[in-house]
Amino acid sequence: MLTDELKKGSAEFLILSLLEVESRHGYELQKLIESRSEGVLTFNVASLYPLLYRMEERGWIVGRWVEKSGERRKRFYRLTPAGLAALEAQRESWKAFVTAINRVSGVRYA
Amino acid sequence: MPNDRIDWRADIRSRVARARLHPQDEADIVEEVAQHLEAQFDDLAPRIGAGPARARLLAQLEGPELDDALARRRRRARPTRARTWSITSLARDVRYAVRSLRRSPGTVIAGTAALAIGIGLTAVMYSIIYGMLIKGLPYERSDRIALVYYADPAREDDQVPLADFLRFTQQQRTLSALGGYFLASANIAGGEQPERVGAVRVTSGTLEVTGVRAMLGRTFIPNDNTPAAPPTAILSYATWRDQFHSDSGVVGKNVRVDGKPYAIVGVMPDSFEFPRASTRLWLPIQTATDTLRPGQGPGLTVVGRLRDDIEYDRAQAEFATLSHQIAKDRAPGTAERRAVVEPFVRGLVPGRVYALFYTMLVAVMLVLLVACANVANLLLDRAVGRTREIGIRTALGATRLAVVRQSLVESGTLAALAAVVGTLIARLGIALFNGVMLKSQSYFWIDIRLHPQVLAFVLVMAVAASLVSGLLPALQSARLDVNTILKDESHAASSLRVGRLSRTIVAVEIALSSVMLLVAGFATKSIANLRRVEPGFASADVYTARVSLASRDPVRQQQFFEALDRELTAMPGAKGAYLGSGLPGTGWGGGRIAVEGRVYARPQDYPPARTLAVTPGFFSTFGVPVRQGRAINAGDVSESTPVAVVSESFVLQVFPTTDPIGHRIRLGGPRSEGEWLTIVGVVPTLFATTFAMRDVRPPEVFTAFWQQRNVTSASIAVRGPAEVAAAAPIRRIVTALDAETPTYATAPMTEVLAEPTQVLRVFGTMFVIFGIVSLVLAAVGVYAVMTFSVSRRVRELGIRMALGASGGDVVRMVCRQGAKQVVLGIALGFVAGAAVARMARAALFGVAPNDPVVFAVVGAVLGVSALVACIIPAVRATRVDPLVALRTD
Repeated sequence: MLTDELKKGSAEFLILSLLEVESRHGYELQKLIESRSEGVLTFNVASLYPLLYRMEERGWIVGRWVEKSGERRKRFYRLTPAGLAALEAQRESWKAFVTAINRVSGVRYA
Repeated sequence: MPNDRIDWRADIRSRVARARLHPQDEADIVEEVAQHLEAQFDDLAPRIGAGPARARLLAQLEGPELDDALARRRRRARPTRARTWSITSLARDVRYAVRSLRRSPGTVIAGTAALAIGIGLTAVMYSIIYGMLIKGLPYERSDRIALVYYADPAREDDQVPLADFLRFTQQQRTLSALGGYFLASANIAGGEQPERVGAVRVTSGTLEVTGVRAMLGRTFIPNDNTPAAPPTAILSYATWRDQFHSDSGVVGKNVRVDGKPYAIVGVMPDSFEFPRASTRLWLPIQTATDTLRPGQGPGLTVVGRLRDDIEYDRAQAEFATLSHQIAKDRAPGTAERRAVVEPFVRGLVPGRVYALFYTMLVAVMLVLLVACANVANLLLDRAVGRTREIGIRTALGATRLAVVRQSLVESGTLAALAAVVGTLIARLGIALFNGVMLKSQSYFWIDIRLHPQVLAFVLVMAVAASLVSGLLPALQSARLDVNTILKDESHAASSLRVGRLSRTIVAVEIALSSVMLLVAGFATKSIANLRRVEPGFASADVYTARVSLASRDPVRQQQFFEALDRELTAMPGAKGAYLGSGLPGTGWGGGRIAVEGRVYARPQDYPPARTLAVTPGFFSTFGVPVRQGRAINAGDVSESTPVAVVSESFVLQVFPTTDPIGHRIRLGGPRSEGEWLTIVGVVPTLFATTFAMRDVRPPEVFTAFWQQRNVTSASIAVRGPAEVAAAAPIRRIVTALDAETPTYATAPMTEVLAEPTQVLRVFGTMFVIFGIVSLVLAAVGVYAVMTFSVSRRVRELGIRMALGASGGDVVRMVCRQGAKQVVLGIALGFVAGAAVARMARAALFGVAPNDPVVFAVVGAVLGVSALVACIIPAVRATRVDPLVALRTD
């Protein structure tokens, strides 16, 4: 199980990654994270929205109400250029971090 | 599935509402989270059951994490708040208000008119108070000019004896200038015709108190006050111009005052009239002071100027100490007096005048409040009509503050218009007031104009009015719930609440106007009483004047008055000619009397009486009949038995059980040394005014003019056709007898009688105007609210009528509802009105402040006006076709 600290740090990274491909709404993001982490990372309303709003406040993502025909309008979040830059930066540091951990712990991927 | 879908919004909204976010943000969050929970529920419910799923999801809302999310949103909302108050957005609001008001000219005209009248009346009243009581004297730093007087609760005996004044002058340290004066009048000669003028006898410090210098020559110096010094005089600008043809070399020349030459030492500048209105001459007090003990010497009114670093309480303390020390040296038998130092105007104007004026200011402010209530109702009406508009604005992101502000800007725009119109009304009112008050004797410093301070007051009033009238509707609009409004087509819910508010306003309005009407009622009754006062003597065709002889020679005086009486009586066409100590009605002397053979324990036990010394012509000139005994006749001269004629009121008080004829009385109290007068006749009680207009039928004693000694002045009255009873023929006779004796105070008797009641009439009339204005405003207010409430209930009334209610039923129902506010308002107003009437007692005459007739009439007038205002819209509602009514919303 991941510690809260690690989860918090990684959650932003995960959301940015998920939004890189296409814009998604809140529940979609929660389900995607849960399914892709195979249940290791879970979110709920109370933990997801503070995160989304903080990232929106930082200018990384933008939420927009989008109305598709035949559906109720939903709030979709998409990545901003600033968000893309942040994603790249986090990827770099994540890579550096993983490399460092690997070197120290001697863990090798097959 | 959609059928049993849970609505999460209510739960979320109640959780989020605590954060008081911008409504738009709140709506967004509620929607987003609700959708999230809905979707999650749809996934969860099939696995763990609907109940547990709902419970688990709701639990998510409870934690503090959500607050973090809300805090993010709040911060985003914050910058918009600053924008609410920027100039550009304010300008936008004003433009919007002007545009939207232009679409409803009715509101603008009605609202502006109501506020303008309110503001105008308030401004008139304030300018009177400002010009009379606040502004002070027209001299530099006039707030530091002080009046020094001896404390006396009745303010009848508050003057400072000359000896005490001298001690003050020597010992005080808090005043930089100190002077004392008493008022006098003098005959001056030298110009075209002799003149009787207002003069003041002063000590040398008096004019220095004002800080004004002589225009020519100098003011008095201490030496002028010594008895041995040659008499000197200072002329007013008017005297210099009229009597001395603006001679710049006048200083050093003589002016004849009361027949004696006085050396002119100076001329004061134009419009300088300290210390009383129309002072034309200043003369020095030249009393020998060496032998005076404290408490002796002529009584002075004392004025001073505070030193720069001294405040009133310091001066007050010093003079209190000094007066205590002086009292020790006073002549035995005189009581200790405590000196009071007060700002000049505050000290000189009686307290009841202050009370009256401030009561009137409160009264007009009530009128303004009624006007504000009307405007509040108008705006409320508009606010309801615009419920949807406000709802949409809120939904589009307008903050509550912005909505409130928009409403306030609207009322402010009305108030600004009203301030302009109100100022014009005030100008008119002030001109009118100055016009009617011009004749009455008034304080010299009064300067009633639209002073800048008055305009500032108007501004404050306008701002206050716009707040009072705009805030209620504004808050009401801001409280409206967006969702309810947008869903609700009929405004029914919102207008119900507003209806209650406006009905409260109406009750307050009625209460305020019943206060005003009560006061107006009392004023009206006072004026009616004044008109109804039967003087008891004829005043039509009677012309009056006054003469004062310069000569102090008793023989010459006697000869002059006897010749004058003869000539006046002999005028062709004259039906009567009178000489006397004064004119009946206003010119009575007064004091206490003693009845021979009776013992009075204390000075105040001597009965009071008004006195008049009259010639036999009195009874024919004023048409006064004799009820008993005889009138004063030609035989009552100095050699014969001194006689008196008394009034019926005198008999009632002094001889209630015995026949007064033959009894002897003496004028004056315990120390009197007057002759005993034998009562020879009884006449009806005549009207006698006092300034306070309390007892207008006092006990009266008439003595014989020809039995007096050392008479220097007399009142003249002539009854006859206009060519005889006039100023010119009287003056001709006087001048022929003595070229140096002026004829003055010439006026028809009717004017003389009207003068003392003039002030009462003016203020009474003002109260009546206030009352009528507030009645009209309140009636309009009731009408507007009833019309509005009926129009909102057209559908309900239509249903009632369709179900069989008659037109009469509907009218009764509507009126019953209106009656509730009206009765409540009147009840509240009566309680307050009784208090205000007591405060305005100084303006009342012959009517008690709890007169039931006034209360009844005011109740009836208000009740009927309110009823009519209710019935008109009610009747109109019954005329509506039920079918039409049912289709309207």
